[in-house]
Amino acid sequence: MVLGGLVASAIGIVLGLAIDWFPTITSAQADQVETLYDVLVIASVPIFVLVMTVVISAVIRFRMRPGQENEDGPPIHGNTTLEVIWTVLPALLILGLCAYSYVVLQDVEDVSASEAAKELNIGVTGQQFAWTFTYPQEVSGGDKPLSTTELVLPIDRSVKFDIQSKDVIHDFWVPDFSMKIDAVPGITTHYRVTPERLGTYPIVCAELCGLGHSVMRNRVRVVSEQDFQAWLQEQSKPAAPENASPAQLAAAGKQIFTGTAGCGGCHTLADAGTTGQIGPDLDQVLKGASEEEIRTDIVDPNQTIAKGYGPDVMPGNFEQTLSPSELDALVAYLEEAAAR
Amino acid sequence: MSLRAPGLPRAGLGVALGIGLAYALVGGIRAAYGWDPVIDGDAVLQVALIAAGLGFLIGLGAFDYWFRWAIGAPTVPEDHSGHGAHSWKDYFRVNTDHKVIGVQYVVHSFVFLLIGGMFAMLVRAELAQPGMQFVNPNAYNGLFSVHASILIFLFIIPVFAGLANYVLPLMIGAPDMAFPRLNALSFWMLPVAGIMFLLSFLAPGGSFSTGWTAYAPLSTDAPIGQVFFTIGVQFAGASSIATALNFLVTIITMRAPGMSFFRMPLLVWANFSTSLLVVIATPFIAASQFFVLLDRALGFNFFDVTRGGDVLMYQHVFWFYSHPAVYIMMLPGFGIVSEILAVKARKPIFGYRMMAFSLLAIVVLGFTVWAHHMFVSGMQEWIRVPMMITTAVIAVPTGIKIFSWLATLWRGVLHLDTPMLFALGFLTMFTLGGISGVMLAMIPFDIHVSDTYFIVAHIHYVLFGGSLFTIFAGVYYWFPKMTGRMYDERLGKWHFWTTFIAFNCTFAPMHLIGIEGMPRRVADYADQFAGWNLFISIASFVVGLSTLIFVYNIVISWRAGVRAPANPWRALTLEWQVSSPPPIFNFDTVPTVVGGPYEYGVPGAVHGVFKGAEVKTTAAPSGAAPAGD
Amino acid sequence: MEAGALTLHDHHGPPPANRSSRVDPQTLGMLLFIISEVMVFGAFFTAYFFIRVVAGDQWPAEGTELPKLIAGVNTAILLSSSLTMHWTVMAAKAGNRFGMKAGILATTLLGATFLFVQINEYVHIGFAPSDTAQGSIFYGLTGLHGAHVFIGLMLLTFVTIRVFRGHFSPEHHHGIEIPGIYWHFVDIMWVIVYSTVYLL
Ligand code: HEA
Ligand code: HEA
Ligand code: HEC
Ligand code: CUA
Ligand SMILES: [Cu+2]
Repeated sequence: MVLGGLVASAIGIVLGLAIDWFPTITSAQADQVETLYDVLVIASVPIFVLVMTVVISAVIRFRMRPGQENEDGPPIHGNTTLEVIWTVLPALLILGLCAYSYVVLQDVEDVSASEAAKELNIGVTGQQFAWTFTYPQEVSGGDKPLSTTELVLPIDRSVKFDIQSKDVIHDFWVPDFSMKIDAVPGITTHYRVTPERLGTYPIVCAELCGLGHSVMRNRVRVVSEQDFQAWLQEQSKPAAPENASPAQLAAAGKQIFTGTAGCGGCHTLADAGTTGQIGPDLDQVLKGASEEEIRTDIVDPNQTIAKGYGPDVMPGNFEQTLSPSELDALVAYLEEAAAR
Repeated sequence: MSLRAPGLPRAGLGVALGIGLAYALVGGIRAAYGWDPVIDGDAVLQVALIAAGLGFLIGLGAFDYWFRWAIGAPTVPEDHSGHGAHSWKDYFRVNTDHKVIGVQYVVHSFVFLLIGGMFAMLVRAELAQPGMQFVNPNAYNGLFSVHASILIFLFIIPVFAGLANYVLPLMIGAPDMAFPRLNALSFWMLPVAGIMFLLSFLAPGGSFSTGWTAYAPLSTDAPIGQVFFTIGVQFAGASSIATALNFLVTIITMRAPGMSFFRMPLLVWANFSTSLLVVIATPFIAASQFFVLLDRALGFNFFDVTRGGDVLMYQHVFWFYSHPAVYIMMLPGFGIVSEILAVKARKPIFGYRMMAFSLLAIVVLGFTVWAHHMFVSGMQEWIRVPMMITTAVIAVPTGIKIFSWLATLWRGVLHLDTPMLFALGFLTMFTLGGISGVMLAMIPFDIHVSDTYFIVAHIHYVLFGGSLFTIFAGVYYWFPKMTGRMYDERLGKWHFWTTFIAFNCTFAPMHLIGIEGMPRRVADYADQFAGWNLFISIASFVVGLSTLIFVYNIVISWRAGVRAPANPWRALTLEWQVSSPPPIFNFDTVPTVVGGPYEYGVPGAVHGVFKGAEVKTTAAPSGAAPAGD
Repeated sequence: MEAGALTLHDHHGPPPANRSSRVDPQTLGMLLFIISEVMVFGAFFTAYFFIRVVAGDQWPAEGTELPKLIAGVNTAILLSSSLTMHWTVMAAKAGNRFGMKAGILATTLLGATFLFVQINEYVHIGFAPSDTAQGSIFYGLTGLHGAHVFIGLMLLTFVTIRVFRGHFSPEHHHGIEIPGIYWHFVDIMWVIVYSTVYLL
């Protein structure tokens, strides 16, 4: 039995650790958390296996055999030493785990002085049902703080998010970073991450916030420092050059539709190759829509609610998050895309 | 069927009057203030829900006695005609017999298990594939919100109250509960709550869809369906407070002579601790819903940050109830399992006193951990670490119980019939759920998995693998006592094994997809989780069907099972010393308790004896003098 | 005991339950009920704590003030009703019917006066619950208490009716004693509400 138990727990632990359940490690924090998780697995699997083994072997060894119908077990009422042991040992184990988690907590939340110096500070605003990100002026280099619906982070640089909410409680979570915190109306919450891996990762709203909760998604792009700077340049200059040709304008608009503004997340539009299901299929509804209609549809979605859809699903803040030129480009693009 | 005699017809009338009253009140007041529209749908609905609920109870006759008492009219002396149920009709009227009420509770709760389970099936059907198939996101949110609310407030909590209602007075040698009429009232408040939850689907804007946690400010500006939850919970809460109060008084003042506290069966101890939790904690959820109601109906600003409100306050108040609530949903199960393991292993409970004390320890600790639901809520950071420690420490008293049960099994003579199987299933599955709970207590890990399917997995391992398994065990164990018939052992075993396997296939993978990053409460999810979700959905349908085996078994056995002897399990506790089902008044004479409840294996040991009539006068209750007033 | 003996001869009722505790069931029930009532107030005080202490908003909200004095007088009224209640119970125990009648009437009237003054205060206080969170919790706490006074008054009315119908005797006066306990609780609660909401 003891042997069986040992083998079983060995297998259990190996399974727990070998199969890599975690998302790929992409931040210093995630690294810490996964180690903690491994420790927790090593600590808890044996406990579960212990209980399992005792139950199973009890069933095997002390199962009522024919003829024992009226027999009773020995009247054992207790055993102090045993009871002390199984009170003290778990207590110690628990305290050990707590102490370790406390250390990890410090590590994932604080930042070394050297890091702090070049730390990036990004504002995150949750709103039914979309995220908006604000890069401070000194970072964006533009004439005003840069606010966009696209999150781009430089690699290996500690980022501090200041998270707020415009309406109800949301939760800003990047699973691959292993960090999350609620966006609470009325207060600003924070957390830090240090991205350590290039790539594009999902952003998820993890707190029930209404009918659009499941679609309150976005993407974070982790890029090299210079790509980051380049992107900032890109953002701060107007979407399309002054007096751009309709073609250029449309091209810019298309890029905004699929990228910056994330319209494609909710809307199907053949020309842009997006297949979102939350909002109406723009190929259908925009047929013959005038530029004005389209513009109001975007800046004030609740003015006309498309048939079969609820109000307050489509974010009402695009006028803020998109620069006028971007908006023009977007509208121009939608108009001609619809025309096709 | 006259409309003046208490009963369902008059209850219908009461509902009608209640709704009428609501219109009159709202219309009157609004007209007086000259507001328009004079008839404001939402306002009327909110008043109507309360008025109709009370109207139903009054009509049913739950208050008749007190009304006469209030005006000092000669109250009808209890002629005990209400005792016992002679036809199924007797289960549909206000009945003060704790055995009838117990059955009403249990059956009613199981009906709601099926309903709540059906919602779960719909949830799983929607989640079987990514994208939206059957319901729109709003309907989906409604489904899991009602699923959870029904299973918590109308299944787990009441079904435990029901089982205890039936066996607890018998176990302590009392002829009935301390306040039989209050007992009846607490039962009849449940259908009111249940029907409200279900009716919410008819509300404009759909049923309440903010989860069973109904966080503000989402709940304060949700569609009107939310009010059905807000007010329904008031009735459910009032019901459990009343029952808890009843249990406490019964246990303290009505124990049989010789039944000192340390001779009480552990089920009694469990319900004693649970009732303490209920009396102290439940008022908080009532208040939290009052706040929401006031914000919605009268424009209060508890949660309006622009006017100085504080949204985190809701979570603190809510969890100060709802964490203890999770132990309200587990401790009675601990009691049931202690009974069954001792009897089926034919051994005394190992470490009886520690078992009792650990219950009390859990009660005390349970009030010190609520913020472990708020690690990522943005609350003051310093609260987290103390709460992490207290939370994890609860593993110690719980561990004491688990290990003592294991020791009880050891060297016993295990009768592996259905109740025992479910008890053992509980032992293992609850341990797993509890351990995942301890992992959740570790803040950095919780930060990663909070609000993911890892939580959903934890919930179901403790609530389904924990609470529900003990409930199945208890129902099978006391079925002969309650119905006077034996259940079908073969079907019972089938039920256990299908449930046990399908349950694990359903909920174990949820740990995995949770850690991988699938959030909870989402109608749609990333394609990477598609495979597992399909698997889970299929498994969950098997869980559903396995539940049908149970339903079938109970129905046929109740109607045509073999007659049960008084004490089929050779148990020592008092409820088994009387006929099955017990006589209308439980005992001809109150028994005298002469030993512990679990003296199995001790030659010739007895727990209680029924001496003749003279018992009452001779045997002086140990440590308690007859009260005088 | 006699009751016991009785039912032993004719088995038409349940056997008399054994009394395993000195405390009387009804009283115990009322005490437990009061515990849960205290918790309801506890929850409202939590809200008060968050709005006034955690959020640190000024109290009362600027531009508003609380009529400490009137409320103080009102407090005195309510407290005196506790005394008359106590007197009523004494009278009941002594079997003094006049004392019972006078006492219970006085108590009921004093309670009603309190409620009246309270409502009057609402009318003239000059801010609504919908103005600020402070306003909300002010009305929340005092309103919750007012509701309890109302419940208490109903109980007292019942008692009054029964007193005048000649119920109760030195042996049987639960019907007075237990509503009495509740009434004292309502008064004590008010002292706490008054000192936290008005004075502090
Ligand atoms: C029956 C109900 C029940 C029970 C008994 C428990 C028991 C426990 N729960 Fe759970 N819990 C829920 C129902 C329950 N829970 C629900 C419904 C939610 C979700 C609410 C929502 O958001 O919707 C939740 C959520 C929840 C959270 C919040 C997660 C989040 O939202 O981020 C946490 C965090 O600490 C937690 C912890 C615990 C712990 C530590 C225990 C402990 O009591 C467990 C103790 C038991 C054991 C540990 C096993 C036996 C012990 C041993 C074998 C001894 C040795 C063991 C060790 C040394 C580890 N639970
Ligand atoms: C006691 C409590 C309890 C019980 C028993 C269950 C039982 C089940 N639960 Fe539930 N659940 C909760 C309490 C419970 N749950 C809570 C508290 C939440 C959190 C809600 C929130 O986030 O606010 C939750 C959430 C929850 C979710 C997450 C929803 C989300 O976050 O998006 C899911 C998803 O799979 C789920 C599934 C199930 C399933 C498949 C069962 C099955 O075990 C049900 C089996 C029973 C039946 C099926 C009924 C009997 C059968 C019939 C009536 C015949 C019909 C059968 C067929 C058609 C096959 N539950
Ligand atoms: C979170 C989901 C979501 C996002 C993101 C979103 N929309 Fe919408 N959109 C909707 C929904 C839902 C509707 C239908 C309800 C309504 O009309 O407001 C809608 C409606 C519209 C309509 C009007 C259709 C009609 O028939 O009137 C247009 C045009 C539109 N969206 C364009 C956009 C553009 C352009 C963007 C990006 C800048 C965008 N949407 C981003 C969800 C979204
Ligand atoms: Cu925002 Cu969920
Ligand atoms: Cu909890």
